[in-house]
Amino acid sequence: MKPSTLIISYLWKDTWKRWCEQPGSPTARVFVTALLVVVTTVILTAFQLVERSLRERLERFGLDTVLVREAVAPNSPGFFRHGGGPDALAMLETSGRKLRLRQLFVRGQTEWRENNLPVFTYPPEALPALAEMLSTQTAAVCASAELPRNALLRVRIGHRSVLAGVARPPNWLRALAPDDFVLVPQGWLEEEERLGWLATTVFQRGLGAPPMEQIIAAVNVMAILDQRTPPQIQSALPLMRELDEMHLRHQQWRGVLAGILGAAVALVYGAIAVLEFRQNLFVGALLRSFGAPRWLLYFRHWLENAALANLAAIGATGLVVALQETIFGTLGFPREMLASAGANAYAGGALVGILVWINVGAFLSSLPVAAGLRQPVGEILN
Amino acid sequence: MNCEDISFRYRPDRPWVIDGFRHTFKPGVTLVKGASGCGKSTLLRLLAGFLEPQAGRILTPFGTAPTDTRFQRCALGFVFQQLNLLPLATVERNLMLAGSLAELPTEQIAANSARWLRVLGLEAYARRLPQSLSGGQQQRAAIARALVREPTVVLLDEPTSGLDDLNARVIIRSLEQFITGDRICVVSSHDTRLESLADETLNFNHFLPLEGHLEALV
Repeated sequence: MKPSTLIISYLWKDTWKRWCEQPGSPTARVFVTALLVVVTTVILTAFQLVERSLRERLERFGLDTVLVREAVAPNSPGFFRHGGGPDALAMLETSGRKLRLRQLFVRGQTEWRENNLPVFTYPPEALPALAEMLSTQTAAVCASAELPRNALLRVRIGHRSVLAGVARPPNWLRALAPDDFVLVPQGWLEEEERLGWLATTVFQRGLGAPPMEQIIAAVNVMAILDQRTPPQIQSALPLMRELDEMHLRHQQWRGVLAGILGAAVALVYGAIAVLEFRQNLFVGALLRSFGAPRWLLYFRHWLENAALANLAAIGATGLVVALQETIFGTLGFPREMLASAGANAYAGGALVGILVWINVGAFLSSLPVAAGLRQPVGEILN
Repeated sequence: MNCEDISFRYRPDRPWVIDGFRHTFKPGVTLVKGASGCGKSTLLRLLAGFLEPQAGRILTPFGTAPTDTRFQRCALGFVFQQLNLLPLATVERNLMLAGSLAELPTEQIAANSARWLRVLGLEAYARRLPQSLSGGQQQRAAIARALVREPTVVLLDEPTSGLDDLNARVIIRSLEQFITGDRICVVSSHDTRLESLADETLNFNHFLPLEGHLEALV
């Protein structure tokens, strides 16, 4: 048998015996690592889930989309029941495409969806922009990403009921509402329009148009010049800022956790490795006196630490993945988000980084042993 | 094996343990005699390359320094005063490991093990762990472990210390059988029973720091 095989076999036996005699030693290392990894994985995965949620919102809203809302009361100057009236944002047409709608102060209900749907009315000028959503059977549209396309369904709006065709909203109109919404031609809901509406303009910036910040500033300036109350402007900019901030915080936490995890593993494992190395000092020296290479004895300590740390990290991550719905559900993440993609991918992604830090810690923890192995055999053995 | 004006001390602030020692160890048995603390064990560890002299140099019969890994693995057999056997390996396994590290063929290791276990009266204990053996049996097993490697240089540090006459006689007989031809054996001991084995005796008492002993006597 090869000498290295014999030595490795002996060292393995020695390690196993030590674990059996002092189970606290490997257990403490595994427990500390697993605890730290669970905390780290949960924090990093939570960051990733928040980022994902923001990205989805951003994607749904559209990076180049601006939503301008202005309340129009029955007594306000912009209250034209028939026809669109003067368009204060007409100048935006040169910078992209624009759609003017009215969001009524009523909600629609279908037998499929219990929740209330926002109701918008559109003027005849909007027909070209909405053409792809309209069916030949009815001019009302239920914009939905999930209901079966082209299905006809009855929508109750106040005391009235309209037949609407289901259509997928084009991306640039998805900013209008987070879920489904109803589009009805102006004049169909006269009673409801009497209450006033939110003049809603969806604008999608075109190529070569000025930056989004300038467009938003222009809309505000125009409102001031027209002596109107500044409109409510919704764009992707706050979301992008939030996403950037979240990303930065994620990176900072990643760095801090890397330091904590690596340092904790290095300190705990290092302290135990030094104690055990001292306990086995004579056996190590004896093996060296036989001619066993020093690197093999060092390798044993490094491998032991690395194996325990990686085992604990993988086990802890597995635990987080298995209990992801409970853990992240408790932390307030929507179950649909976890069910659709699951946190597995995120926990798995965090695992790679965690394993790197842990292995760095395990390597550092074995350095005192490497230093100890430099002591001459003759100073150890009598 | 040549020692050329070697000097050694364990710490720079301590006195020299060995100071300017010069000697050529010839084939055969050299008995290094002296009182405790005179540096006998230190000399053996220097000869084995387990310590390095601060001055002078030691040359093995192969012309290398004793710290040479190949010399330590293949040509050196060392018996320490105390711990000599791996506690979790049987006597037979200890011998096999030692022989294997000396790069001997498996058949030769097996034959050597069988021979030295027989000569040293350990055949019945081959499958036992060291902790289940008596002090004398452990010391004999340690010698078997050193001899199974067929080393050119055998260094024994107090091999019969604390052993009864029977054990001592078994050890002496095994060494007589082993030390043939060009083999060099250096034994450090103040045991008079080993004097019959020696081809040369080296008195190491001149390295003894007398102050401490005299103070103790007073």
